[in-house]
Amino acid sequence: MSFKFLKPYFPWITLVMLTIIVGIANPGFFSPAGMIILMADIVPLLIMALGMTFAIYIGGIDLSVQQIANMITVITTVYLAQFGIGVVFIVIGVGALFGILSGYVTTRFYVPSFVSTLAIGFVALSVAKWLSGQRALYMDATLRDNSFGWMFGKTWGIPHELIIAVVLVLLVWFLQTRTSFGRALKAVGSGELAAVASGLNVNRVKILAFCISGIFAAIAGLMFSVKLSGGDAQLANGFLLLAIVAVLVGGTPLTGGVGGVINTVCGTLIVMVIRAAMVYLEVDATQQQMVFGIILIIAITLTIDRSKLRGIVK
Amino acid sequence: MADFMTGGNSPLISTLRNIILKWAPLFVLASLVLLFPIFEWLEDFQRGKDHIYLIDSRFFSIRNASRIAVAATPGLMVAIGVTFIIIMGSIDLSMEGTVSVSAVIFAFVFIALGGTLASWAWLAIPVALVVGGIMGFINGVIHVMFRVPSFMVSLAMGFVGTGFALVLTGGDRIRVEDELFRSLLTVRWLNFPIMCYVALLALLVAWFIQSRTTLGRNFYAVGGGEELAIASGLNVSRVRIMGFTLAGIFFALGALMAVGRIGIAETATGNNFMFISITAVVVGGTALWGGIGGVLNTLVGVLIVNVINNGMVVIGLPNWLQDGVLGVLVITAVVLSTNRKTISFVK
Amino acid sequence: MFELKAIDKHFPGVHALQDVDFHIHRGEIVGLVGENGAGKSTLMKIIYGAYQPDGGTIEIDSKSVRFQNPRQAMDNGIGMVFQEQSLIPNLTVMENIFLGYENQFVKFGIINWQAMSVAAKEQLAKVKLDIDPNTITMELSFGQRQLVELAKVLTLEERIEGHLVILLDEPTSVLAEEEVNLLFQIVRDLTKRASFIFISHRIDEVLELSDRIYVMKDGKIVDVVQHDDAEVNAIQHKMVGRDIDKEYYREQKQKPYNSSEVLVTFDNVSLDGVYRNISFDLHAGEVLTLVGTEGSGREGILRTLYGMEQCTSGSVKIKGEKVTHFSATAGVSRSIGYVPRERKVEGIVNGMNVYENMTLSQLQNFRYMGVMNVPKEKSLATTWIERLGIKTPSVYKDCGDLSGGNQQKIVLAKWRSGGSEIILLDHPTRGLDIGAKEDVYEMIREMSDNGIGILLVADTLEEAIGLSHTIMVLKDGEFQKGFDCKPGSKPSLYDLVHHMI
Repeated sequence: MSFKFLKPYFPWITLVMLTIIVGIANPGFFSPAGMIILMADIVPLLIMALGMTFAIYIGGIDLSVQQIANMITVITTVYLAQFGIGVVFIVIGVGALFGILSGYVTTRFYVPSFVSTLAIGFVALSVAKWLSGQRALYMDATLRDNSFGWMFGKTWGIPHELIIAVVLVLLVWFLQTRTSFGRALKAVGSGELAAVASGLNVNRVKILAFCISGIFAAIAGLMFSVKLSGGDAQLANGFLLLAIVAVLVGGTPLTGGVGGVINTVCGTLIVMVIRAAMVYLEVDATQQQMVFGIILIIAITLTIDRSKLRGIVK
Repeated sequence: MADFMTGGNSPLISTLRNIILKWAPLFVLASLVLLFPIFEWLEDFQRGKDHIYLIDSRFFSIRNASRIAVAATPGLMVAIGVTFIIIMGSIDLSMEGTVSVSAVIFAFVFIALGGTLASWAWLAIPVALVVGGIMGFINGVIHVMFRVPSFMVSLAMGFVGTGFALVLTGGDRIRVEDELFRSLLTVRWLNFPIMCYVALLALLVAWFIQSRTTLGRNFYAVGGGEELAIASGLNVSRVRIMGFTLAGIFFALGALMAVGRIGIAETATGNNFMFISITAVVVGGTALWGGIGGVLNTLVGVLIVNVINNGMVVIGLPNWLQDGVLGVLVITAVVLSTNRKTISFVK
Repeated sequence: MFELKAIDKHFPGVHALQDVDFHIHRGEIVGLVGENGAGKSTLMKIIYGAYQPDGGTIEIDSKSVRFQNPRQAMDNGIGMVFQEQSLIPNLTVMENIFLGYENQFVKFGIINWQAMSVAAKEQLAKVKLDIDPNTITMELSFGQRQLVELAKVLTLEERIEGHLVILLDEPTSVLAEEEVNLLFQIVRDLTKRASFIFISHRIDEVLELSDRIYVMKDGKIVDVVQHDDAEVNAIQHKMVGRDIDKEYYREQKQKPYNSSEVLVTFDNVSLDGVYRNISFDLHAGEVLTLVGTEGSGREGILRTLYGMEQCTSGSVKIKGEKVTHFSATAGVSRSIGYVPRERKVEGIVNGMNVYENMTLSQLQNFRYMGVMNVPKEKSLATTWIERLGIKTPSVYKDCGDLSGGNQQKIVLAKWRSGGSEIILLDHPTRGLDIGAKEDVYEMIREMSDNGIGILLVADTLEEAIGLSHTIMVLKDGEFQKGFDCKPGSKPSLYDLVHHMI
């Protein structure tokens, strides 16, 4: 019975074990300064994964996040000069718009989210290519520092990126656990038909979930853009699968209704530790991706809570 | 009484509706094929050139058809592989890794054994297929034995595959320059390169497996109701593992086509196969929740995606616009072939 | 020839079967009755190999056997005709019949569809079903599917030497009367080759068909009755451990409703392909029951009133206002509550706890600026747990883990606590044991006394007669006849059936 009680904590146990293993192999891993840098580095991925969690929590998926982030890097770079920090509002607005679009196509036209979000992602890519003229754009350094310099500063040795991350995590955690929207989200994820029969406006809940996913992808895009001081229709490539992996490893299964944003924090940290481990353990660069995949399979096999998968495993 | 009239007609209407839905992907394909020449015609008309619709079309020509066919072949093989998995209601995201590994190993073995099909190097072809099969088999075994959802296993296996290909090549490109092997692309029968015929043959084999063998029918049984299939005494685990293995073999076929087409095997050979192949399967009318559809649907789906891609180039749509248009058209195609009466909700 | 000796089966926290002895002779038809949770389905599963017993032995012709899975049981001549529709809907009839045993038609890896079709025809002839074996199963009626299931199990005749044991789990629940008769005829004809174990909640049917009847209660066999000695009341008494008398449906508590207060008016309402020209008034405190066979349009009317289906013509008025916008959300805002038939799918959310389920339809009452007031939710849940006697360890319990009766009470509490004035009940007692059923009846009376209008689709005709103020009989989507059901002058079963079929 105690074993069963531990099940929801498997992802955390995996995280701690991995950390300890890496730490023993290379004590340098435990240095606080190094840790903080690692964590600050993972923040854009975390933000993207947090948004994705909502899409997966209702039993869908959002494959548009990477393209939305790409598009946002371009938008930020192009409009920074004109709007300064006000570009944040454009970023959030555009992210929300694309998320809502995905949600609308999924719920009203019955297109599976796997396809609808992928297609909406293509639309975002088009916008990015058009705005950027298919070139890599660069920000003016002074403009950037004036508007977003604060994003990469430090207070008492803590990077502001981390603070932003913590604030966002608290926000979505509150949204998920304390609000009526969060409750509706859980109902839709665990039993959509019952939610419908209880009179919930399920379509609206789903559209909102995709909207949040879009907004978070946009915020992640903004951070990429500021961090790399530019915009490009390919800047965020490679983050989509990692974001999905972070959500899944954290213990939010694709069937929905289980897990949540805190799980995703754990999943993102696991991804971070595995990737850092390969650097600390001096895994050859060409081998890293293979090792990452293998560890991933082992981690998922060990941690997923099969009792929540309801019988059949597809 | 007017309601009674419509009520009385409804069986006929619903049959008609079902027929339309069943053939919707084909209608979409046909209208696309007729649509793109209109743009060309319009363009020439504006410039005052003589233009007979369809006859003078660059798009609607044998040469272009062959171009579309060549571009579609590797993707078709991959999409066929994943069709079997989707029919079972599962998903396989490992194709990019499997294609890369199969392509790279094929190239290595091919070159090591002599570098031309006329020598023992032909053995590289079965070796590549076996490699694909093994990748799929591992996928299936982990999925079934450890009860891990296929989405997660295959996603991670994709990383492993791409990673393994990278380890093998160290990031290098391997050229496969054998004339005989490249004749897949260079030699044409009736205007189409040999690889199109090979693909057609593979499609027939897949269709045969799907409709004429126990394994193929069992995919549908698993997708239609897995618990029921188990209760009927079906060894579902075995069906699943064999399904993933079969998918792996088709991914490897896709790898061979890709190498044949470009003449290069590298880690990136597998890039971009994942989403486009699954999209093609769905556009063709195979449902993601399993049990409905098949490889012929997939052929139509792959052709739709490739016709769109090709048509946009031919009519000179700006490059930046093409992705977006593809996205919108994919949604349209799926919407047209979805029977909204029979599904209660969609994830 | 087939015998179970001292079978024991434990599940975590439950002693599902205790010391069960069971035997069946060649050509015998044995009935198995018991309340839900009495252990019938566990016993079934042990017989056909889905579960393995923790103790005891299974013997066929005095030889001990052990089945690891249903397939092994089948190879020993034991077949199961499932209660739930167990045919795979997207396959053809013949594929379903030979699923898992296609090899006999395979040559060089190729399936010979022609041969399979011929063989399937033979199987279908055994159950007197004349359909094309190439039909997609989805297109068959429920009754036809039930017969195909039987045909599928009967393939054992060719496959297995020797005698068969065939389990029939609630085979009649989706059948019309003539189909039931046909099924019984077929079963009797087949006793030359097979023995049958027949499970049904319709005790009269069990009595009619069976040579011998096992009565189960709380995981034990409490009685074995011979056909000639069997009597419905005695068996029910054994099953429940108490008498079921006239007070069962709380008839004595039925009070006249307030005919001056009309809650719902249906005026010539139609929904294409489901029902036509339905008119009625539902009054405060009235229990109005829709009676008809499967597919007579009862559920469609419920779902239209709730808003989940939009009617194609006619007008629906709720509390005097004409409904123009149909959606479940709108239905709830018109203070309608809906207790669906598929309790586990549409009634409760599996994975959410007691209070979360109870407030799901009324989130707006428990939130302030979008934030949930959990203490208020919990106190509501505690109140209703006490009021309805819901058995749950705490308000945090996942509703998916509760028993059917408690789940149903939670669904009812959801609507009653939200102040619903019109409650739609679709098979509210389906799958509940007798105790829980009585609780539901009690609640229906209580709601009716409080002036709630109830539109009911009952699980059985007796229930419909017992509970209603008014009965509407439907057939093929059309209104047949209305009955006034004052206590003492209720229509008989025959009156209703006469108009149903």
